[in-house]
Amino acid sequence: MWREIRDREAGKTRPNSFTNRIKSSRIANLHLSNYKDIVSPHRGSINSLQVDLTEGRYLLSGASDASAACFDVQRASDYEGRGLIAKHKCLFTVDKQHETGHKYAVSSAIWYPVDTGLFITGSYDHYIKVWDTNTSQVVVNFKMPGKVYRTAMSPLATSHMLIAAGTEDVQVRLCDIASGAFAHTLSGHRDGVMTVEWSTSSEFVLITGGCDGAIRFWDIRRAGCFRVLDQSKSQLGRRPPILSCSTTNKVSVSKALSAGQSLSSKPRAQQKKSAGGNGIKQSPLCRTPAKGPVRQRLHPGMLSSQDRATAHYGAVTGLKITEDGMYLLSAGSDSRMRLWDVESGCNTLVNFETVRLQTSKAIQLATTQDASLVFVPCMTAVKAFDLWSGMTFRTFRGHYEYVNCCWFNSQDQEMYTGGNDRQILVWSPSRLIANDMDMQDMGPAEDQDNWSD
Amino acid sequence: METVGDSGKGKVRVLIEKATNSTAAEVDPRLLKAIKSVVRYSDSELRLAAQTLMDHMKRDHSQVRYLTLLIIDQLFMRSKLFRTLLVENLDQLLSLSVGFRRNLPLPAPPAVASVLRSKAIEFLEKWNDSFGIHYRQIRLGFDYLKHTLRFQFPNIQANAARIQQERREREMRSKEILQNKFATLKGNLSSIKEEVQSTLDEIGECLKIVHTEKETIPLGPLDDEDFEEFRSSELRQIRLDSLREGEKIHENSENKVVFDALRELYKLLVTKHLVSVQEWISVLIRVEVSDNRSRDSMLKEFIDMQNRLQTVKKKCIELGYALPDTTKREKNEEEDFWEEGKIESFEHESSNALNKLNDNTSVASTSGEVKNKSPESSKGKANCNQSQSCEHGGADSSSLRSKLLAEAPVINWGTFLNNWGSDQVFLANQRGLELESHWGRVDYDAVIPAEKIAELNIRRTIYEEEQVEIQPCRAPLHKGGLCQRRDLRACPFHGPIIPRDDEGNPINKSTSTSDTILDSDLLEQLAKQAVKNVRDRDTEDAKKRKLDKQSQKRAKLAKIREHNEAVLRDAALASTSNSAFVGEEVMATTGGRSALNKKESLASMLHKKESAKDRLAQRLLNTRTRDATIRQLTLGEDTNYREAFPNQW
Repeated sequence: MWREIRDREAGKTRPNSFTNRIKSSRIANLHLSNYKDIVSPHRGSINSLQVDLTEGRYLLSGASDASAACFDVQRASDYEGRGLIAKHKCLFTVDKQHETGHKYAVSSAIWYPVDTGLFITGSYDHYIKVWDTNTSQVVVNFKMPGKVYRTAMSPLATSHMLIAAGTEDVQVRLCDIASGAFAHTLSGHRDGVMTVEWSTSSEFVLITGGCDGAIRFWDIRRAGCFRVLDQSKSQLGRRPPILSCSTTNKVSVSKALSAGQSLSSKPRAQQKKSAGGNGIKQSPLCRTPAKGPVRQRLHPGMLSSQDRATAHYGAVTGLKITEDGMYLLSAGSDSRMRLWDVESGCNTLVNFETVRLQTSKAIQLATTQDASLVFVPCMTAVKAFDLWSGMTFRTFRGHYEYVNCCWFNSQDQEMYTGGNDRQILVWSPSRLIANDMDMQDMGPAEDQDNWSD
Repeated sequence: METVGDSGKGKVRVLIEKATNSTAAEVDPRLLKAIKSVVRYSDSELRLAAQTLMDHMKRDHSQVRYLTLLIIDQLFMRSKLFRTLLVENLDQLLSLSVGFRRNLPLPAPPAVASVLRSKAIEFLEKWNDSFGIHYRQIRLGFDYLKHTLRFQFPNIQANAARIQQERREREMRSKEILQNKFATLKGNLSSIKEEVQSTLDEIGECLKIVHTEKETIPLGPLDDEDFEEFRSSELRQIRLDSLREGEKIHENSENKVVFDALRELYKLLVTKHLVSVQEWISVLIRVEVSDNRSRDSMLKEFIDMQNRLQTVKKKCIELGYALPDTTKREKNEEEDFWEEGKIESFEHESSNALNKLNDNTSVASTSGEVKNKSPESSKGKANCNQSQSCEHGGADSSSLRSKLLAEAPVINWGTFLNNWGSDQVFLANQRGLELESHWGRVDYDAVIPAEKIAELNIRRTIYEEEQVEIQPCRAPLHKGGLCQRRDLRACPFHGPIIPRDDEGNPINKSTSTSDTILDSDLLEQLAKQAVKNVRDRDTEDAKKRKLDKQSQKRAKLAKIREHNEAVLRDAALASTSNSAFVGEEVMATTGGRSALNKKESLASMLHKKESAKDRLAQRLLNTRTRDATIRQLTLGEDTNYREAFPNQW
């Protein structure tokens, strides 16, 4: 490690690669943290976890006992065991006792992506509520037609403030915080919608996975969905890297190249530019020249054969798009994970070695920032898979009942998992050596070998 | 190098295998020690051990899991590496040892499984107490079992703390009491001292008086002279004793008052002052006060006081050594009086009885004195001159009384005792009420004859059932423990009640086999009896037939009979062989079972313990047995048929 730092100092390694190396080594060392306890105030299973996107500091959890709680993951509220264990108590909690709280299980609790002043909870009592964090009061209230399974807000959105809600109902509704009304109703699914996910490359693209096994792509500026993922339509392996692709056929993909590059380096900036007006032209999803005419023709009312395509046998229980917005991971109640190329809409046939997935509930997946690993709740354990090979990288065992959700905090390289056993566990890389020394100094010397004979 | 490693690797695995393959409730300490010593010096061995132990925990047998868990605990408490290895899979370990997952219950022997569960919970608590802060997983597991599944943890540490707390409180309380006592003592120290001192003074004066009297008695110089004459030590002893006897002051009418006073004072001294002083000393020793000086001085005073009291007491005993003796005699006398009074009533009754006996027969004349005494005592009843009669009857009659008492039957009180042996007749119409012949003429001289009264007062006893301690069944239960049902002869669940040892095994193990043997014997006997019966009947028939057809074809009949008999013999042979076969079979099965019983193994623990019901069911429902029985029964019909139609077979 010191050598690496020296190299970095001398300029032998570039800052990016240095940080990446440190990060990946830290991620490889993730284990159940002994010095960081989140004291869960929930009396029901944890359904949703999210760390705020602005500071990476406040963890929001939604649980089946109709409560949502917020934790500060960076600063402990008190210490235990002679300062060895940091206890993170919740900063505040909203539950049934709250006069405007939810009545039934909170299935989804997310932060407002722009700041931590608001958060949104969706519940089985058919309501989506927008809360003011500071006063913990409901600001906006949306009545949905059925149980709310999942809510999502676009992390990129600059031109809209829409909450996408997947409910029992076949229609996906977009709730506008600004007006307090439903902006859109997207119909196409034939069954309830388990998961919703906004694209990380375009603020107008929404991906939904339903209980009918379909994954649909919607452009919210147009009617109807423009793509249904089909598990039988596949491409082998990963798309060739854009650079090599561009060298082989520069002309046709040059536009895609520029888009892709800008995407991977600074998507926010690009979106800001695109926010001005003609987003559809700039959206990489709509700009594949080869597919363009076909898609254009299909779009308003797709061919019924394509419309019926399924991505999973059974329900789609989890969706996660990589940070660069190029790949989509889906988990289904058929205990399969699939990696989709967003660009082509093809199944990449990566074989994830899942054993079993929870089938009855929506699960929340997490990926690392560089999209090398995906964390999947597999029954009582959380498994980390290599995204490109599907091999199990690590198995995190700690929960005593099914795990419902996990969240990877790429800022601290920590993972938070919540399960039916009401615990929120922190998985963190081992401490630095200096900290270790500290710990040994102040920690009791109890945990040593003790051979009496 | 590799081979060494392999052999070493084999070692811990073999050791664990050996240690867990046992039916004992503990791991063999030698094996455990061997495992520990192997594992201690090699991390790879430890890793292997952890792996092997986890594999063993997955075995489908609670006993194996239990022993494995014991080993795990031993290593867990010792090795850090082992802890880190094991903690990774703690949920698995817990689900295998506690069995909290519904789809993964603990395997068979249920008794061992329950022990395993309780032990696992206990261990988890222990681990959590000692290593909880270092391992989040342990905390999680503990928390989960305790708060989510609400398992009952033994709570050893909390209990210990509670006991400690209670003890501390008790100590505090006693200390407070001591303080209070000390305060009161401080307050009335002088009065106590005065009291004691006055008693001492009085005793001293009394002694002085006695001594002055004593001085009038001449003694002293003569024993010195005679001293050497007594060579033999015994004689000398006698001499000394007699001399000392001479020194003693005997109580007489003159100094009786003094002695009485002395006695009183002595009693006061011994029972009150000495005791209280000792108590105060103990209080002073135990109490903790700020000013040690005053306490010490008080303590000193009290010790002095105690010493003085002791010396005075000794002096009393030495000089007027009659004192304790007299008191004792006094006490005896008192007791005598009391006893006398008690026995009086009894005598009054028993004497009547005796009188009666004397009237009827002369059997009861145990001694002359009884006869003497009984009228006397009955007389004494009248004049109440109790003490005299007691004095009179005193010591010599006591032995007799005790003898009689020993003989006398103890019976419950009843009205019949009120007029035991009285021949009095009762006037029927004189009850102190003036009836004025209200309902007709009253015969005031009507009497109830003694026999009638005796009839009315006939002694009755109520039948009391003897309380028999019904033994519990004590058969081992599946869930552990012993059957506590109390039945007279047979438990409805576990069969006849037989003596069992502490684990519920029948004490004479051979009962099952012997009883089946007996049964098979019985079967054989029955079969024989059946054959015999058939034969008897057969001979009878034959006789009858002979009588009928005596005249005709005698020779032929004889031949037929001969033939019949031969066939019957065959049949009988067949039937006996059948029954023998049945018996053999049963024997074989029971033999096999007993052999199984003898060799107790892990597999045998999984077998269900056979009850009498099982055995019966097996016996009765066994198809072969059933067939044999049917065959036997039909055999009888067969013979009948053959009898009826002798020429058709």
